[in-house]
Amino acid sequence: MNSKDTLLIGIGNNGRRDDALGWAFLEAIEKSGLFEGEVYYCYQLQIEDAERISRAEHIVFVDAYQGHLKEGCEWVSCKPSGNFTFTTHAFTPTSILYLCQELYQKLPPANILMIQGQEWGLGEGLSERAQINLQKALSSFYEKIMTKTI
Amino acid sequence: MKKITIDPVTRVEGHGRVSVHLDDNGKVENAYFHIVEFRGFERFIQGHPYWEAPLLVQRLCGICPVSHHLAAAKAIDQIVGLDPKDLSPTATKLRRLLHYGQVFQSHALHFFYLASPDLLFGADAPKEKRNVVNVAIENKELARKGILMRKFGQEIIKAIAGKKIHGIAAIPGGVHKTLFPDERAYFLQENDTPSIDTMIEWSKEIVDFIKAYHHKNFQWLDGFADFPSGHLGLVRDDGALELYDGRLRAIDSQGKVTLHDVPCDDYLKYFTEGVEKWSYMKFPYLKNLGRKDGWNRVGPLARLNVCDYLSTPLADKELKEFKSYYAGRPNNSTMHSHWARLIEMLYCAEEMKALLTDESILGTDLLREGNRRPEGIGIIEAPRGTLIHHYQVDEKGMITKCNLIVSTTHNNEAMNRAVRWVANKHLSEQKEITDGMLNRVEIAIRAFDPCLSCATHALGKMPLKLEVFDSENNLVAEKIKSAE
Repeated sequence: MNSKDTLLIGIGNNGRRDDALGWAFLEAIEKSGLFEGEVYYCYQLQIEDAERISRAEHIVFVDAYQGHLKEGCEWVSCKPSGNFTFTTHAFTPTSILYLCQELYQKLPPANILMIQGQEWGLGEGLSERAQINLQKALSSFYEKIMTKTI
Repeated sequence: MKKITIDPVTRVEGHGRVSVHLDDNGKVENAYFHIVEFRGFERFIQGHPYWEAPLLVQRLCGICPVSHHLAAAKAIDQIVGLDPKDLSPTATKLRRLLHYGQVFQSHALHFFYLASPDLLFGADAPKEKRNVVNVAIENKELARKGILMRKFGQEIIKAIAGKKIHGIAAIPGGVHKTLFPDERAYFLQENDTPSIDTMIEWSKEIVDFIKAYHHKNFQWLDGFADFPSGHLGLVRDDGALELYDGRLRAIDSQGKVTLHDVPCDDYLKYFTEGVEKWSYMKFPYLKNLGRKDGWNRVGPLARLNVCDYLSTPLADKELKEFKSYYAGRPNNSTMHSHWARLIEMLYCAEEMKALLTDESILGTDLLREGNRRPEGIGIIEAPRGTLIHHYQVDEKGMITKCNLIVSTTHNNEAMNRAVRWVANKHLSEQKEITDGMLNRVEIAIRAFDPCLSCATHALGKMPLKLEVFDSENNLVAEKIKSAE
């Protein structure tokens, strides 16, 4: 992964506690100055995001995860899938990749970085567990940038 | 008696429910569009300083926050002693540009994402097919243009308000930032977002598309959920369509003027709201005509009905053709709302070009001051129709009263009439209630582009559902889709 050509998409809502993990990840990345690519904060993926990702060379979706992850965060390869449940409000990374391929004939390599959260109620601020997992996710990300292993 | 419930109604913004009550013979006795979410914005904004209102109330909605932001800003301008004419020309133009960008992107969202599956695939298509993904896959060129048209409007919002959703542009007495030359140039040139000239061209194309569609499907579009109603909207002093600041005009279903170009500040003299125990959404109406006859549609169809002309040449030409279809009589065909909405997109695109090419939009005279008043009223035409914000403040500037009458609320009676029309026409005395029949109810509601979260001032997951109940109130059919 060349960070200059990578689009980092943070999905979340900073009014819903640990649902802000995707955004908190982007904020930390921007603050570090180590990432040269584009960052994009979004509440939910929407159809127009297919156009945005069609212009990137590499995509990393970062999102909070409600289940259990052994290491607190986990990388998953993201492949396009037309077999999705559609709603007017949100698309999954796999479905947005599928649309990108269909509409723009582009299929940039994509990964999902899931970060385990704990608190999901109304309110601002990450839980203690989410903050620990955020640091693990950042370390993992920097390591992959250094070693180009994504 | 049987009762049918659609819950949730899909491809609308917000959470509501439709219930249809059938008698022992399966004939429709009654049908209701219930709005079952509640937010209480009018209440919890009390005690906040007036200058917070334009920031707080835009959280009512993620689709039309700009409309709430600007309506509140206009009201707060009055609280700092300024009427719309008192603002600097640059500030007014920037607010207008923001507003046209908002209406443009919202109309694009509605037509391409929410309504087009019904038009392109039909009411009886399998529900798995009736969504924007299939529209995109089967109509790639249309989808690519729809995406970029919405993006253009969103980028206009971002340039002026800092971000696409819940940004900040208006402050009491003006705007906080001008448009910089490089920001303006972005919209005048082809980039990853097409230019404003391309937006005008594509808007014209999409109006041609709906006219061609209408030519092939006029029986359905003309007759579906066609019922008489009043129509309400803002107009300029000379009768032209006005979206940002004008006078209130209403006509009845025959074209007789029922509200003659009255100043927005006087709205309480003319309007009041009724309530029903089965809905949190109120029912506004004109006092002089009463609850039974004083209700009005609002939104694109109503606006094109009440205005005399459009101030931009291409859109005005389309308006003339639109009006000529019913020989100048008011158009009460609910499905013509889509046609009207696309003419308004063309109008907004032309207005945006006029503002973007006006050198004074780069000006730096952004803020004016006045003498404090205890009350402010701001009325604009939001994408979905007439939007009213009204605030009162105490001597310390804290809000003591807030009244919001949003577009979808004005359309409450009309949407209920539309539901009853479809229920009587398609659900009455049927042996079996099919998905296509239930979808017709949603199509009628969807034509109004309702924003139910705005209308109830709601938070959280917002689906709509439809239920059918028998004469003993047993649920015999329902339609539920997750809003997740």
